[in-house]
Amino acid sequence: MAGGRAGWFVGGFLAAPSALYGIFVVSPYVQTMVYSLTDWRGVSARISFVGLRNYRSLAGDDTFWLALRHNLTLLLVLPTATIGLALGLSSLLSAGRQRGGGVRGARWSAGYQVIFFLPQVLSVAILVVLWQAVFRTDRGGLLNGLLIWLGAIEPDQPLLFLSSRSAVLWCVAAVALWSSVGFYVLLFCAAMQSIPREYYEAAMLDGAGRLAVFRAITVPLLWNQIQVAWVFLAIQALDCFALVYAMTPSSGGPDHQSEVVATHLYRTGFVLGRTGYACAIGVTLFLLTLALAALSLRLSRRERVEP
Amino acid sequence: MSRRDRGDRGDRGGRAAECVPQLFLVAWAAVVVAPMGWVVLGSLKSNAELGASAWSWPARPRWENYARAWERAGIGDYFLNSVIVIGPSLALTILLGSMAAYVLARYEFPGNRVLYYVFLAGAMMPPYLALVPLFFVVRSLRLLNTYQGLGLVYVAYSLPFTVFFLHSFFRALPRSVGEAAMVDGASHTRVFFAVMLPMARPGLVSIGILNLIGQWNQYLLPVVLMRPQGPGDPQRLVLTQGLADLAVSQGYASDWPALFAGMTIAMVPVLAVYLAFQRYVHSGLATGVGSSL
Amino acid sequence: MATPPTGTGITRRAVLSRTAALAGAGLGWPATTGCATAGQQRRAEERGEITEENPFGVSSTTPLDVVIFKGGFGDDYAKAHEAMYTERYPRAGIGHQGIQKINEVLQPRFNAGNPPDVVDNSGAGMIPLDILLADHQLTELTPLLDAPSLDDPNVAVRDTLREGTIESGSYDGVMYVLNYSFMVFGLWYSRTLFARHGWEYPQTWDEFLDLGEAIRAEGISPLAHQGKYPGYVVIPIMDLAAVNGGLDTQLRIENLEPNAWRDPAVLAAVDGFHQLVTRGFCLPGTEGMTHTEAQTAWCQGKAAFLPCGSWLENEQWDQTPDGFDMAVGAIPPMAGASLPFGAIRAGAGEAFVIPANARNRAGGLEYLRVMLSRAGGGRFTELTRSLSVVRDAFPDSPSPGLASAMDLYEYARDHAVLLTWRSPEWYSPLSSELDNATGELMANRLTPAEWVDRVQRAADQVADDPSIEKHVRT
Repeated sequence: MAGGRAGWFVGGFLAAPSALYGIFVVSPYVQTMVYSLTDWRGVSARISFVGLRNYRSLAGDDTFWLALRHNLTLLLVLPTATIGLALGLSSLLSAGRQRGGGVRGARWSAGYQVIFFLPQVLSVAILVVLWQAVFRTDRGGLLNGLLIWLGAIEPDQPLLFLSSRSAVLWCVAAVALWSSVGFYVLLFCAAMQSIPREYYEAAMLDGAGRLAVFRAITVPLLWNQIQVAWVFLAIQALDCFALVYAMTPSSGGPDHQSEVVATHLYRTGFVLGRTGYACAIGVTLFLLTLALAALSLRLSRRERVEP
Repeated sequence: MSRRDRGDRGDRGGRAAECVPQLFLVAWAAVVVAPMGWVVLGSLKSNAELGASAWSWPARPRWENYARAWERAGIGDYFLNSVIVIGPSLALTILLGSMAAYVLARYEFPGNRVLYYVFLAGAMMPPYLALVPLFFVVRSLRLLNTYQGLGLVYVAYSLPFTVFFLHSFFRALPRSVGEAAMVDGASHTRVFFAVMLPMARPGLVSIGILNLIGQWNQYLLPVVLMRPQGPGDPQRLVLTQGLADLAVSQGYASDWPALFAGMTIAMVPVLAVYLAFQRYVHSGLATGVGSSL
Repeated sequence: MATPPTGTGITRRAVLSRTAALAGAGLGWPATTGCATAGQQRRAEERGEITEENPFGVSSTTPLDVVIFKGGFGDDYAKAHEAMYTERYPRAGIGHQGIQKINEVLQPRFNAGNPPDVVDNSGAGMIPLDILLADHQLTELTPLLDAPSLDDPNVAVRDTLREGTIESGSYDGVMYVLNYSFMVFGLWYSRTLFARHGWEYPQTWDEFLDLGEAIRAEGISPLAHQGKYPGYVVIPIMDLAAVNGGLDTQLRIENLEPNAWRDPAVLAAVDGFHQLVTRGFCLPGTEGMTHTEAQTAWCQGKAAFLPCGSWLENEQWDQTPDGFDMAVGAIPPMAGASLPFGAIRAGAGEAFVIPANARNRAGGLEYLRVMLSRAGGGRFTELTRSLSVVRDAFPDSPSPGLASAMDLYEYARDHAVLLTWRSPEWYSPLSSELDNATGELMANRLTPAEWVDRVQRAADQVADDPSIEKHVRT
């Protein structure tokens, strides 16, 4: 493959993508690192080096640690719940009918997949309006209205949802789950179609229950797809900016209870004008993400060797 | 079809076993559809009806809400702006992404691994980390509040994941194909465009869909990069921005029916396009994402 | 003008190239971005000749870039002002943007040294003024005050303003902010609703509590508030604290004196509002409502009182039922209060600023002068049903809410006290902690004592932080 012709070709093909990537992605990231060592304030052009001072104050920033904890919680919950629900739904879809030892997809399987995927195509701005209305704190809200109508709660004690300290983060997670689960249903269903039906039928003949089949056949054979899903969802869990920013009270409230690193960074950098400090937050998260990625890469490698 | 099912040697247990999954599936479908349907319903109510109870039916459908929403918001412009930005940027993302991925996957040269990992790192970093300097970069190129500026930034931030995704795809293509064509005297470029790209079609379709969804729903980047910078600089808000603005301004006007109508107007065409192309979307995603690993 | 425009241009250029060098050093490649930024540096401001007619030397051809917060007042009034400016300078051309999230839209332009010429920096998404000031981003408005007014060249602009306007926009004696709308804060109610039930507006806190019980007995919630934005309730809590403890207590708080928030008068006020929660006086769910949700529920008669400023009437105009007869009253003092009933918070709000790096600062000043003309103030009142700070611009037939607000204001001025609070706007960390703690208090998740602890801690942190510039009130 070597040789002059190939060399020109490689260079030519890489030039444009690398240039774009370098200018708009790499250089801002590198600049972020530089700015994180300064006291630059958003609106002003005055700037001077302060060494590691921003990082030292970061250590004592309670809101940052709270936000980080929320991101880590989401990192645990969001992929697990989404993948779990998607796997459950897709195995119902692909092996919904079992009779006389035969296994077939559920009726209207394709239709369900279309419906489940719908939220994925909605813009995040629509999601926010939708769910703010669902979570409204009086009987005009979809959920409170339903619960009051069912008599599950008293009309004068509606649930607070996004304004509740303990519930707000879970509400955000629920919306994220709601909007993305359809995508993974699609992904898993496609993969399940390639699992030979005989596997299931053999297991059923042996008297294995639905759950046992799921554990013994579905999950191991879908392990690759599950890993992809985990990576996608982990990236999402570390971000969550738009949902939290636009949906929760004071963009991360009440009282910072839904704060994520992204909203904290945005507030310190763009609202309170401590841009240098915000850059330090960014760099810290960058390093954490790298460490996390390396860790999961190592773990998944080990798994691959074992079976 | 249903008659033949019934003709099956269906015992009672089988019937129950079919009902239970259907129950779960219907339940989740309801959870998905209910909020959307409810917003559509709300768009036909009066303000007082909306505030009264979530589960009331409008006394009469108030289509005038739609007129108000359309008139105040300029949703048509937002749509157009989104399309103008995303059309070219999507095409460019796929073209540049597949070029880079192909070269990185199938040619060995010094720095290959490093470059690949530099791309890979970008896929894991949310763009907000670099927001402030990014603004200055775009400004210095005089690309603020321009279609091409926002489009190029979209391409740049879509590249890492695109490269990562297609890299494994090109790796998986059999080596012999390209080599056979080379023996026939085809150039590297020709092999790529005439042989490799067509073979990678399922992958291109699914990464295209993923990028379409991602770029269509991008919120943060346009918020910072797509605002008029001075008198005479026109508004070029994309759909997400426009809708977010609409949500806030209708909030100040306490006009939720019009807000819901606006959301419905924005929701319906996207859903229609998706429904029209869903077969394509599904098969593309299935084969693409499935075999990319 | 405080600093000659060319001067600022030069300093900025120097600073920017330093930034460029910095970025370049970090990157290890030529500082393309930075150089381009510096190269793009705008020309010096275009100026016209200074005459008596044109005291700021407005260039008649330079466009004027106006960004308006389009909230409760809408932005029609600004369009009217822009038309008046265009009448004076037909060749200038005006760029108008009416937006809600000032911060989100303008912060990048401030960052880039390319801000608009006039900014109405208001609303929930405003850029905190202390930050703009600390970074020297605002133009001093003294030349505006000294300029002749449009209506009478013998009277300076400073002599046409309502009392308190200059003070409210001044920092250490220099005016940087024109607060244009004159606002009155209190508890709002429907006269019709009260008359129908034979309720009287309470004059003491105990009467307020008794009335609350009576209102509740009718199946109506005594109080609605804009719980998603706790700042709305912070206002009456702080005002009640001032009424309870008097102006000395208030001054100690404003000047960040140690333990100023621990004054018993503050605790009593906080406890008073907390009791409204524990007695079940609040509209169910109101602690999670946006301002418009809560206000609309109040308009629909679901609650009797609502804390707000006098922009309320205009904001709710389309949602207010006919014959609602909106009115506003002062916060009822607690037993043993230092200030009499009738003391209210009143003052100028809606912060108009001219960025220091604006391209057409002279035009910006001229625009403010147009706003402060009698015709400008009149158009504002006409279009927003609110008073402006222009003293002589009165509406001929005020709407019910505006008339009530004017009565309340005049009574307070002549017989009680006009309150103003500055420290939350001086110190945004304190303000944000006030909001958070109050949100928790009104959701019954924080006790009054804990509220005081949290706010005192925030005040101490501000006091101890050398990087925050302090202001003194006397």
